[in-house]
Amino acid sequence: MSTGSSLGLGDVEIGDVWTRFMTYVVLTFLVMVNLVPFLFIISVSFTPPEAFFGDPSLVPANPTLEAWTKGFADLRDNLVNSAIIATGTAVISMAITIPGAYAFARKRFYGKKVGFYAIIVAMMFPYILLVIPVMDIWNSTGLYNTIPGMWIAYQIFVTPFAIWILRDFFQKLPQDLEEAAQVYGCTQFSAFVRVILPLAAPGIVAVGFLAFLTGWNDFLFSNLLTTGVGPVPAVPVLYGTIGGGSGERVYWGKLMAETLIIGAPPTVLYLFARNYLENAFAVK
Amino acid sequence: MSGNTSNTAPSSDSTDDPVRNRQRDSAGADESHVRVEQIRKTFNDGSVVACEDVNIDIDEGEFVVLVGPSGCGKTTTLRCIAGLEQPDDGRIVVDGDDVTDAKPKDRNLAFVFQSIALFPHMTVRRNIRFGLDMNTDLPDEEKDRRVEDVAETLGIDGMLDRKPKALSGGQQQRVSLGRAMVMEPDAFLLDEPFSALDANLRDQMRVEVKQIQRELNKPMVFVTHDQEEAMTLGDKIVVMDDGNVQQIGTPHEIYNDPTNLFVADFIGSPSPNLLDCTVVEDGGELRLRNAAFEVSVTDEQAAVLRERVGDRVVLGVRPEYLALNDAETNGAFTANVDVVEPLGDRDAVHLSADGQSLSAVTPQGRVGRRTDEVAVEMEIERAWLFETDGTRLV
Amino acid sequence: MATEVSDASAETEGQSRMASVWETFEENRFSYLLIMPTLVFLVLLMWIPFLRGVWMTLYEWPFGGSPTWIGLENYASLLEWKPFYTAFKATLWFSLTTAFQLLVALVAALSVREISRFTKAITGIFLLAYTVPPLVTGTIWAYLLAPDLGPFFTLLTEWGVLSETIYWGTNGSASMAVITFVTTWTFWPFMFLILSASLQNIDEELYESAQIYGANRLQTFWNVTLPHMKSAILVAVSIRLIWNLTKVSQVLQLTNGGPGYDTSVLAVLLYRFAYGRGQMGVAYTVGLVLFVVTIGFVFVFIREFEKASEEATA
Ligand SMILES: Nc1ncnc2c1ncn2[C@@H]1O[C@H](COP(=O)(O)OP(=O)(O)OP(=O)(O)O)[C@@H](O)[C@H]1O
Ligand SMILES: [Mg+2]
Repeated sequence: MSTGSSLGLGDVEIGDVWTRFMTYVVLTFLVMVNLVPFLFIISVSFTPPEAFFGDPSLVPANPTLEAWTKGFADLRDNLVNSAIIATGTAVISMAITIPGAYAFARKRFYGKKVGFYAIIVAMMFPYILLVIPVMDIWNSTGLYNTIPGMWIAYQIFVTPFAIWILRDFFQKLPQDLEEAAQVYGCTQFSAFVRVILPLAAPGIVAVGFLAFLTGWNDFLFSNLLTTGVGPVPAVPVLYGTIGGGSGERVYWGKLMAETLIIGAPPTVLYLFARNYLENAFAVK
Repeated sequence: MSGNTSNTAPSSDSTDDPVRNRQRDSAGADESHVRVEQIRKTFNDGSVVACEDVNIDIDEGEFVVLVGPSGCGKTTTLRCIAGLEQPDDGRIVVDGDDVTDAKPKDRNLAFVFQSIALFPHMTVRRNIRFGLDMNTDLPDEEKDRRVEDVAETLGIDGMLDRKPKALSGGQQQRVSLGRAMVMEPDAFLLDEPFSALDANLRDQMRVEVKQIQRELNKPMVFVTHDQEEAMTLGDKIVVMDDGNVQQIGTPHEIYNDPTNLFVADFIGSPSPNLLDCTVVEDGGELRLRNAAFEVSVTDEQAAVLRERVGDRVVLGVRPEYLALNDAETNGAFTANVDVVEPLGDRDAVHLSADGQSLSAVTPQGRVGRRTDEVAVEMEIERAWLFETDGTRLV
Repeated sequence: MATEVSDASAETEGQSRMASVWETFEENRFSYLLIMPTLVFLVLLMWIPFLRGVWMTLYEWPFGGSPTWIGLENYASLLEWKPFYTAFKATLWFSLTTAFQLLVALVAALSVREISRFTKAITGIFLLAYTVPPLVTGTIWAYLLAPDLGPFFTLLTEWGVLSETIYWGTNGSASMAVITFVTTWTFWPFMFLILSASLQNIDEELYESAQIYGANRLQTFWNVTLPHMKSAILVAVSIRLIWNLTKVSQVLQLTNGGPGYDTSVLAVLLYRFAYGRGQMGVAYTVGLVLFVVTIGFVFVFIREFEKASEEATA
């Protein structure tokens, strides 16, 4: 990546040196602020409970895996629930939004503009408002406390945003492609499947990742739409341990191991999807 | 536009005359291969009329060029033929079958897009094969053989395993043509296929396309906004403006005998001189008068103008039919030389006379660079006369 | 076909109108089929619940119980209730987090553009905070900032920066500062993602021509970079403005809305009514207030932004 604003070596000026220096200072600071908390947590997760109230240090004296094994054992079922919920959310959201975004990007039809604005407005909608009626409706339709209930509920978060990103992606593809396919023997549908879908794969990966992230990370719905008796995902469990104020002494080491366990899957997925994300977020 | 002169267009075409005439003779009213009847297409609930009342007959083996300024409805017409657009009214008949309501894939027409529209994720081979894979059950070897034949014809056989991105614009254009050719369609539809190419490559591709069309002997509809391209390529030229067909004819007919002011103005480079004149009667002789000159008309023209003494008409005359001389001869008028523009073997001379701009074409070097004034003589028998609203008088 | 046309013209106005509506539908059938799922979800999951929620505000509506019609009682009692105003004020303060996020994201995006190495690693680290669940980062900060045992205050007192630890949980302003900080820390990477993507899309030639015409860094920023990022900033800020105001998990973890109602931003208040007390009608009434506030924010923001950028270009 070129800097865009510095000329060749011949013209280094005081101003340039100063900007360069400040750039490094700012970046170093931001990296530290983002990284150090995680380093501390990693350290704490290996600290035995009894060694906890000494001086904080980044390298624990007698590291132990106890927090990790316990944390993992406690969370196992919930992690499975989270995975099912997040994956299902991603799959359903793609099934809904890929065709919609495609039509909004590349088809002409009556009412297109209004439809698209309705979706953009929906993106600006404060979702928490929907929690109350959704809780109530889910309760009366049997979706409350079920995994499909979560899948559907998360589409509220995902659909508008996904359409917005994907539409942009489809729009950027060269024009006339699907018509060329149609002239050479495809139907509208097979042109879409054979030509457009493969080309839009990066955008689809990005949206799939974001949908998965929503399903995995969300607290609001996962807490409000489940109770202890249903399929509880991992996030509300973590909340129960700290925010619920259960009165017991908090075993911070285990708690921190749990945060890392819950945080790991989206981070790993991010590493796979990151190249696509940047593209997906380029606002025109 | 390349440095070629405008009259290469009709003359290069005249070598093909025998072929064309044979085809014309053999084609009866109902045997024509592709027929466009009364097509009308509007957009945005009828507020944009893209084309209207379009009738075109395209005979077996005929090369038809649709030409007109940007936005005149060429692409729309072509898309209607291909089935990518559903016309509001009218019929499309291919080989005697009404295909107006057929899907694009069922029409057996090949379309070459202005934007080339190769599939970026497929190799050149897969791109060319695409139509065969979709539409036919040919065995793989047969498909490959056809693809290789076509690639060889087009000179892209060394690039079959590359992706389109790794090809130059001209090569991509050929692949796009190849994708059409391999289908052996009933007709080819090409939408400004060479607009992305540089002048030399364009000339070269024109020749190739024309050759290929001759060999395949299939009807071809070729869209362009470049009148010169139209003249060089077409057996038949369809001039469109503002959604309507203005004239259909051979390049010679269009060039020599435009049916209205628009066609006269649009075809030919430099553009013809279109001069506002008043019809005056001078001792029983009819003359056309203008601020700069006064000319007497031919008998044929006089017959039409007889009733119109005092009216304003538009006199159109091609730059070739203005003769420039040093000394004033009889019937000539003087004009100032503004610019001399070399066109190769000829020069375009831009003149002004009493506020009128005129242009003339002369043999190379006839008018010296430093000449200020010339005497202009007009071949009035080669001139056209139009009503002020653009319809042809004579 | 030709006969059909003449038939159609013989039909009455209304019939042919119906026919043309049907024709447009026929022609675009595939498109409508494609957007159908989206529209169905939009209606089923957004508009119906939203309207049902508005209707619920007119009831005393216990969760899972049977509702009683009380008219505008919910609104009246909310407006008379002192803590509601505390919560309202907290919401306004809390919305400052969006400004902080924009600031950090902008600085970070511009800085990353300036360097040529490690960009992948650095953006990766930035994005870490955004990819893991907010509840996880909230937990982490709850630990780091715990007054008695968290490393932040332990280290500060140890190094002598503070004479004694701060029990921020009992102080309204300090609590507010903590939740604003943590929210900013968690969500600025989202804005960073949008802003740096749009920075990446600026044509290098624009910078080069700005240089050729003698623009300095600041002028280049004002005349090339900022105008180009305008829509990205607009989108990022609008989205975050709303999403920040609807996040509850971290506030609940860190302060649980306290002390008192000092950090009960409207979303948290809604949560407390819905989850803590099961009063769905009141909860949704709070939600409607939040709705109006966010719409107002976004509206004002877009207007001011447009005005400012018009002045900048004038
Ligand atoms: N999808 C559409 N929606 C609305 N108007 C359209 C559409 N397609 C074409 N038009 C309009 O119809 C008219 C004819 O367009 P068309 O594309 O056929 O022109 P063209 O002759 O091919 O021009 P060009 O040489 O620029 O390609 C134009 O005025 C155009 O704006
Ligand atoms: Mg066109």
